[in-house]
Amino acid sequence: MNENIFTTVCPGCSIACGMYVREKDDGTFNIDWRKDAVVNAGKLCRFGVRLPANLKAAVSKVDGNEVELSDAVTALGNAIGDGAAFVSVGNTTCEEHLALMKLAESKGAVVNTGMGAFSAISAECHSTMGVGVPLDAIESAKKIVLFIDPYEQYPLLVRRILAGKKNGATVTAVGWKAVSLADDNKTIDPANYESELALDSDSVIIAEINPSTDPERVMVLLNLAKASGAAIMFMKPFVNAVGCDLASKKTEQKSLDQIIAEINDGSIKTLVCLDSDLIEIMPDETAVREALGKLDNLIVITSRASAIADVANIVVATEPFYKKAGTVVNAEGRAVVGSGEGTDGIDAIGVMLGQPADLFAELNSAVLATLGIDAVDERVIPVYEKPEYGVMDANPTAEEVETALVYAGGPFFWNGIVDDNDFVEMNLDMLTANSLLKGIPAKIVSDKGEVVIKYKVSDVAPGVVLSNMKLPMTTGMVTSVTVSR
Amino acid sequence: MDIGDCYVGWATDEDIRTRGASGGLVTAMLAAALEKGLVEAVVVLKKLGEFEAVPIVTSDPEEVKAAAGSMHSVPIVLSRYLEYGTKVALPAKPCDARSTIEQAKRGQVDIDTTYIVGLNCGGTMHPAMTREMLETVYKLDPEEIVGEEIDKGKLIFETKDGEEHAIKIDELEEDGYGRRESCQYCAVNIPTMADIACGNWGVIGDLAGKGTFVEINTEKGIAILENAIDAGAVEITPADEKGKAIRAKVDGAMMKVAAAADKKYLSPIEGSHLDYYINALSDCINCGACKTVCPVCACGEGAKCTEFSSSSDTYKMSLFHLVRFVHLMDSCIGCGQCTDVCPADIPLTHIYQRFARPIQDEFEYKPGMDMTTPPFFGVDLLEEGH
Ligand SMILES: Cc1cc2nc3c(=O)[nH]c(=O)nc-3n(C[C@H](O)[C@H](O)[C@H](O)COP(=O)(O)OP(=O)(O)OC[C@H]3O[C@@H](n4cnc5c(N)ncnc54)[C@H](O)[C@@H]3O)c2cc1C
Ligand code: SF4
Ligand code: SF4
Ligand code: SF4
Ligand code: SF4
Repeated sequence: MNENIFTTVCPGCSIACGMYVREKDDGTFNIDWRKDAVVNAGKLCRFGVRLPANLKAAVSKVDGNEVELSDAVTALGNAIGDGAAFVSVGNTTCEEHLALMKLAESKGAVVNTGMGAFSAISAECHSTMGVGVPLDAIESAKKIVLFIDPYEQYPLLVRRILAGKKNGATVTAVGWKAVSLADDNKTIDPANYESELALDSDSVIIAEINPSTDPERVMVLLNLAKASGAAIMFMKPFVNAVGCDLASKKTEQKSLDQIIAEINDGSIKTLVCLDSDLIEIMPDETAVREALGKLDNLIVITSRASAIADVANIVVATEPFYKKAGTVVNAEGRAVVGSGEGTDGIDAIGVMLGQPADLFAELNSAVLATLGIDAVDERVIPVYEKPEYGVMDANPTAEEVETALVYAGGPFFWNGIVDDNDFVEMNLDMLTANSLLKGIPAKIVSDKGEVVIKYKVSDVAPGVVLSNMKLPMTTGMVTSVTVSR
Repeated sequence: MDIGDCYVGWATDEDIRTRGASGGLVTAMLAAALEKGLVEAVVVLKKLGEFEAVPIVTSDPEEVKAAAGSMHSVPIVLSRYLEYGTKVALPAKPCDARSTIEQAKRGQVDIDTTYIVGLNCGGTMHPAMTREMLETVYKLDPEEIVGEEIDKGKLIFETKDGEEHAIKIDELEEDGYGRRESCQYCAVNIPTMADIACGNWGVIGDLAGKGTFVEINTEKGIAILENAIDAGAVEITPADEKGKAIRAKVDGAMMKVAAAADKKYLSPIEGSHLDYYINALSDCINCGACKTVCPVCACGEGAKCTEFSSSSDTYKMSLFHLVRFVHLMDSCIGCGQCTDVCPADIPLTHIYQRFARPIQDEFEYKPGMDMTTPPFFGVDLLEEGH
């Protein structure tokens, strides 16, 4: 009956909703609603509500055998040589990310957050790409333009957008699927965004950057924001993607695709992933598994059990996210800290660096200095400089396929979890054109393979099969497919 | 001591008496129940901030003592934290007490080993609303608040500089602030269904502000109070008739206020009922929180509402909601928890009450008031020839 109650944030996406975790003596836990949390007033989406089912503790392993954490750390120390590559997409605290950066530095390397858009777009844009606007700003905007599906991708935006509407905002959604809260659902050629959307400084653009986002699309949106004076907010699928990006600033970054390519061409032999499961995050799971299989050493430092831990040579299991000490920065740029005091990951890295035990304190000071604050106050967003940037020449790749399987990518998708997302969506015309029958699942075939799956009729763009669950026969966020009965 | 007796009592420990909401009696009683082994655990609110507290289930009397005081901006129902088979006591607003009883009817709570220490309740506020109200109406920084109380229809905040800032609750509510909507029409102020009902109404004269009014409702109520007296933790004196009359009068006045709010908020739906429900629920993101927090729902994971519905359905209104509306018709107590946690800000309590009220009125059945089950539970199918 004894419980430890942690004040924490949901690790499901960059909104970083406040919540409590009630952990029992046996390590199992429940969540509870933290109604005084400024970000979400205690409200959570399905991912947060179902966190106990979604988050399983990690186990330390060496070559498939369970070991003590200290033994895994020793194995880690022996395995990392020069030339290792490091990835941390933002699923952990800023401090743990910084610890990994220190380790990487000692090996002459950097930590990659894997967001290709950041490596492809000039640094003057990074602040705007990283830190968005306060969620309150959505409520007071006159125009809200959505390049995401808030219901699926960032569900705690829904109430903010609805509040904005109540305050008189008009909502336009530009996406694969019509969203019911929008006054207007549109498909617009990127070349015409400016003229068709007619935004101004009272407008807010909400879009997304994930590891698979085409940088050119980001450039188009940055251009749109610049030309119109609209505020822009790029949501990220990882809880501390913004914080980890801020911590990593000024280092050369590689996209996840580049890292996979370098593993395949033999230039990366050892890969260290900190709470970053490339098998779950990247759309072509088979390709990732094949590449990882070519490594001499796959080292995973992780707070949760996931697919990549099953294939790693070394797994260093750290405490669950809610127990970690440290800072998280959400999509607004808001810094939050939980009540956790765990520093397993940082201590493990400290051992390798021969650092004294107070490495956490040193890293925490560095994080506060980066944020320009003395202490974290979740109710006060630090001030970020957003330098002016120049207009960019952007040519997003048009998806020229007849029928496209497209991923929306919600929290369940990014965490590789099958929940109530085991179906695809398409419009009625697709059904008739492909002779689908009610109650009989659809067969979806790509060059790589096929799946037979339930479908739902929705107001999805013509030629699009939308999925929020990753299917094994995909090659990218958009895959050319055929659909049949 | 007999059922029906009324007393004014207080904690003998000066610190508890001062920190307690009225006389610290509830805290002293709960702590003594633990100390003397009457119960193994107590549910209380652990205070984390002026507007933030989290329910804990504790065997440590010190944690119970630390929890003294009423938190009006912590709208949480405590019955969800009870564990079957544990001898337990909990402070209970009417919604805490009523849901405990509904859970007992469904075999989730053992009523014989659960001591329900009732608290009168005039309502709670959502902390996010409280903060906004402080900033926009009171023109105060929420971080400056060190205390809050409700007195003579006014909501009073005390700031660090010792100043008190009072505004009439009626005025606040006219502007959309104040108590949660569900509390405005909640008509049960005195928890007559609890083992013992405690409050500050009816404490007059020298004891005003320093004593807790208690009414004994059950044998368990006698047991928990006598236990505390035996332990030397509380003292009581019989309540005088004037105090009792004042308490009844304020209760009556509050019921009238609730009836007016009922009219204001739960007026009949205009136009198509189906359209109303479809529209009201159109932004549901299927999080399941409304079910998880519902303190009268006794279904676990494999419930009808979840098993019969899927995000892949294309119904205009999800079966999850339809099943829940029907399933909770007899038991929804209008506690407001579902509205509080809905990430799409759907006024769920309002909608559930709209469904539940007519049937509860028709059968003259009010859930959670005692252990009797609704009339339609009692229909003998065999007798009816099925
Ligand atoms: C929200 C609220 C509204 C109230 N409104 C009225 C009213 O209108 N008229 C009236 O006569 N009395 C009201 N009361 C009761 C009154 O404030 C005192 O709680 C009661 O008189 C007992 O006083 P005490 O000093 O003995 O309690 P204390 O010794 O202070 O013990 C109070 C106990 O209540 C628990 N508690 C505090 N806040 C909450 C909460 N939000 N939900 C559940 N448990 C809580 C604490 O954990 C503690 O165990 C209200 C109480 C609450 C919590
Ligand atoms: S997944 Fe995102 S929106 Fe959902 S509860 Fe977690 S942080 Fe909030
Ligand atoms: S629903 Fe009733 S008993 Fe519960 S907090 Fe509101 S007014 Fe009090
Ligand atoms: S349906 Fe809502 S208001 Fe009714 S009892 Fe459940 S949580 Fe409370
Ligand atoms: S809490 Fe709200 S969003 Fe979640 S399932 Fe219930 S109605 Fe839907």
